Amino acid sequence: MDTTSVVEIGRPSVPRETVWRSLRGHLKGTEYTWALAFVVPYVAVFLTFVAYPVVYGLWMGSEAGLYRELFDDPIYQKTVVNTVLYLAFGVNVKMFLALLLSGFFMRPGWWMKALLLIFVLPWAVPQISTFISIHWMLNGEWGFLNNVLYTLFHVEGPHWLNDRWTALAAVIVSHIWKWTPFWTLILLAGRMAIPLDIRDTAKVDGATGLRGFVHITFPLLANLYLICTLLSTIFLLGDFNAVYFVSGGGPANTTHVLATLGIRNAFEIAQPRLGVAAVMSALPLVIPLVIVLMRKLRTAEVQL
Amino acid sequence: MSTIAVDAALTSSRAESRAHRAVRRRRYLTTAGTAVLSLALVVWTILPIYNMVLISLEPEGDVFTDHIWPRVASLESFWGVLTQGHWYLEHFWRQFANSIYMGAMVTILTLVIGSLTSFSLGRMRIRHGWLVSNAALLTYVIPASFLAIPFYRIMQNYGMANNVWSVIAALVAFATPYAIFVFQEYGRSIPIEVDESARIDGASPIQVYLRIYLPLMAPALVAVGTYAMLLAWNEYLYQFLLLSSKSSMTVPVALAQFLSSDQSPWNYMMATAIIYALPPVAIYYAFRRRMSAGLTMGGVKG
Amino acid sequence: MVHLTRRSMLRGSLALAAAKTVGVPYVARAAATTATVWFAQGFVQDEDVALRKAVADYEKQSGNKIELSIIPFAPERQKIISALTSGVVPDMVDSNPGEILQLYGWQDMWVDVSDVVETQKSQFSETALLAAQAYNNVTKKRATYGVPLRAAVVPCHIWKSLVKKAGMKIEDIPKTWDAYFDFFKKVQDNLRKQGERKVYGLGFQVTANGVDPYNLFMAFLVAHGGQDIVTKDGKLHLDDPKVKEAAIKSAAYLGGAYRDGYVPPSAINWNDADDNNAFHAKLMVMDVDGTLSTEVAIKEKHPEWYYDEIVTHGAPGYPNDNAGKPIPSIVGYTNGLIPKGAKNVTVAKEFLKYFIQPKVIGEFVELGLGRWLPVMPSLAKSPFWQNPKDPHLKGYVQQGLLGPTRPDYYVFNLAMAEVRSQHVWSMAMIDVAKEGVKAEAAIEKAFKRIGEIFAKYPMA
Repeated sequence: MDTTSVVEIGRPSVPRETVWRSLRGHLKGTEYTWALAFVVPYVAVFLTFVAYPVVYGLWMGSEAGLYRELFDDPIYQKTVVNTVLYLAFGVNVKMFLALLLSGFFMRPGWWMKALLLIFVLPWAVPQISTFISIHWMLNGEWGFLNNVLYTLFHVEGPHWLNDRWTALAAVIVSHIWKWTPFWTLILLAGRMAIPLDIRDTAKVDGATGLRGFVHITFPLLANLYLICTLLSTIFLLGDFNAVYFVSGGGPANTTHVLATLGIRNAFEIAQPRLGVAAVMSALPLVIPLVIVLMRKLRTAEVQL
Repeated sequence: MSTIAVDAALTSSRAESRAHRAVRRRRYLTTAGTAVLSLALVVWTILPIYNMVLISLEPEGDVFTDHIWPRVASLESFWGVLTQGHWYLEHFWRQFANSIYMGAMVTILTLVIGSLTSFSLGRMRIRHGWLVSNAALLTYVIPASFLAIPFYRIMQNYGMANNVWSVIAALVAFATPYAIFVFQEYGRSIPIEVDESARIDGASPIQVYLRIYLPLMAPALVAVGTYAMLLAWNEYLYQFLLLSSKSSMTVPVALAQFLSSDQSPWNYMMATAIIYALPPVAIYYAFRRRMSAGLTMGGVKG
Repeated sequence: MVHLTRRSMLRGSLALAAAKTVGVPYVARAAATTATVWFAQGFVQDEDVALRKAVADYEKQSGNKIELSIIPFAPERQKIISALTSGVVPDMVDSNPGEILQLYGWQDMWVDVSDVVETQKSQFSETALLAAQAYNNVTKKRATYGVPLRAAVVPCHIWKSLVKKAGMKIEDIPKTWDAYFDFFKKVQDNLRKQGERKVYGLGFQVTANGVDPYNLFMAFLVAHGGQDIVTKDGKLHLDDPKVKEAAIKSAAYLGGAYRDGYVPPSAINWNDADDNNAFHAKLMVMDVDGTLSTEVAIKEKHPEWYYDEIVTHGAPGYPNDNAGKPIPSIVGYTNGLIPKGAKNVTVAKEFLKYFIQPKVIGEFVELGLGRWLPVMPSLAKSPFWQNPKDPHLKGYVQQGLLGPTRPDYYVFNLAMAEVRSQHVWSMAMIDVAKEGVKAEAAIEKAFKRIGEIFAKYPMA
């Protein structure tokens, strides 16, 4: 199953032209036209709706003075720490859970399917209402969670949102709750792509459970898992909803992340450039991620 | 690697029955484990939703109460949503129809454009294809919510202001790169020989795309399609930004109205959110069944 | 003055005719007669209906078209900012949030509308006229960029039933500031003795979320004699010992009440809706919160609460300062604004002239059930506001329109808007409430930050 293409450089493998390529005679004729025609729609979308806004956005955040103002904000440092924690735990715990659960949902049976149906609900429920409901659920006096604790165990629960760390944890858990279903479905699709014969062979060899996972499933899923993790990191960086509605950045501005700080700067202080600068100040983190992603996607084209 | 089969063949019949018992015990344990895990999952998933249900059943929409069961299960809010009984929800069904339209358009376009691109890049290996996938990544360098202003501007330039297609275009632009990445990654596990043999049999690229590529990609299409649909289903910022009349927007716009004031009928908000969440789940479920049924070539059973 | 009187007399009797004479020449001349108007969604449906009706009436009279978009609060703000930043603007917007007038006035992005305001100048309250102005950092001058439409003020809301339950009387609440709030601490103590597990005396929003905490702190600051923190010329006076003392006292009282257990613990992370939710759940006896939304929200479902159980302390009722002198209330305004670059300034101006006729704007405000206040003292005399059967409206309009008022401080210097959105006061309150910091130190820190923010907006 080894093939190479023009982008494959420095990889010691037996070069073999694909039939596509040999029939095409190196990108000529109708094959090339077809291939070109297939990418044209996306290229059109990209040029009309992505290129300009992104360049405009980059330009908006390109002034050095903005960053000076940003770093002068007394809450900026804490915000960066929160963002790092939010990304580290939010993304990785979520993705790892999704990886495990996607395996769990491969199990046969009608009730697995019923369970999956319930399981995807958090993803389908609109964000605003969900996160606001969680904010109320965690209220110290009359929140649902503490009511449960009091009714069942006669314990007065803590004020979850009154402390920086529990509030941040609440935000992270809310995010995991909301988005694990989505990534589970993506990884579930990935698992379904593993040909049945490979899985059967593994089973006959007794490579079930953990061993099967480590030796068979994960290597095949690893690339997808990595790409999803990187994308999820980039998505999460710009997502303000969980923080905005669950903790509101509080108490005392201690749980802001760059995205909520950006929203505040852009729309509450009415300085959109400062808002863009807030999220762009994460570029030192984003650019390496993007480079890794580019490399991953490139190798994806040539393997198998 | 020792296997149960080997063990069984080598041992006596007594040992065999013991092995059988062990297998049965293990199966029993697995079932029990599955049940416990399922239960935990249900509780975890349902808890915040249960709180939403609790609020939706409060006749006055109170969010701070001291009980954990509905006091009086007033279905008034659900009925109110379905009959457009609150002025925030005066366009509910109209907006619901818009949601379906917008969701369908965004899903179809994302899937078509995304799969065509990934087919060209990943299967046909067009020269310099990597440029396209790398460029697509640029979409995510600045988060969508911070591109509101450029988008507002560009749609005015294109004369697409107040046109529902401006929102669809924006959403497709955000969803497609993701679709391309997942499709390409997923496509890796489908042997290229499948395409090649079809080509040798004389199929044109479009036939390979339609008859071989798409059916094999079904699980990824369903997952990404659900993603695109829900993106459109729950979007509201760009709609407010690019459209001007509430009757041309989708249901989340009605939800956003509840935040307009510091005092809202929260029971209606929660009821709307719950009702609104059901169709995507049903759609996902319907397509999921089809995807596992239609997938014989990959030999996968869901 | 003579000129003004003549004009207002003309209007007084023949308002519609006057509007027409002003309007006709424009209508005849304007080729493109469609104006785009954005307006924040009302608190109750009737507000939107009233706005649509005013627009329809204007369209009928003028022959022009108004393309009206009614948008919820938060998205409208984003839409306005996107429009102004990108340069593709509508013809009229409302000032949402209020300080947007000053924010973009600073950048010279509004059309001067003094000619529109002029048509009703004698009608507007002085505070409203003052708040319609902004400092323009390009021309280095102040000018009128807003047309006042409606207003809101911050009264106190009290559960009479809880006070009674504590064995106390609402009539016995002291009239001076600190004693007034101390009274509710006693109410809490009494209720706790009766075994009430969860009820707090004071619903102070000591949170760093939303606009409530800023309003709360400013009310305390003014009450303690710190009203000169920013003067009309836009100058900041942090070195004024009276201001400093007032700020320290305010932080000490607000934070101290929380620290001492008289404020619901969750208040430290409330959003703007939560104090209403907590008040309705009878979690606290009183709160200080902008507008009558607390009362209006429950009017339909709980008329007994509205009429008998909840008391609004506007005027009378709102406490005097500690020396017994009445305190001016800080009023926030919604203004009509016309962005520079609007395609149809003439129609927008004409529509605003039509809209601010006392009869039209008065009806519009009243349909909001009293959440919004009128901006013209004459409108406060209507049967709606003076309804003897209504326990809340009369005192509210007295406090926010007829009594002593002053505009919010961002009118004088927009840096104050950023002080609010950065929640500088909240941080000071929370430092005292939760971190055990001395009020002096907390205010020291807050003043330093306020100084930095003001430095970003130098005024000539």
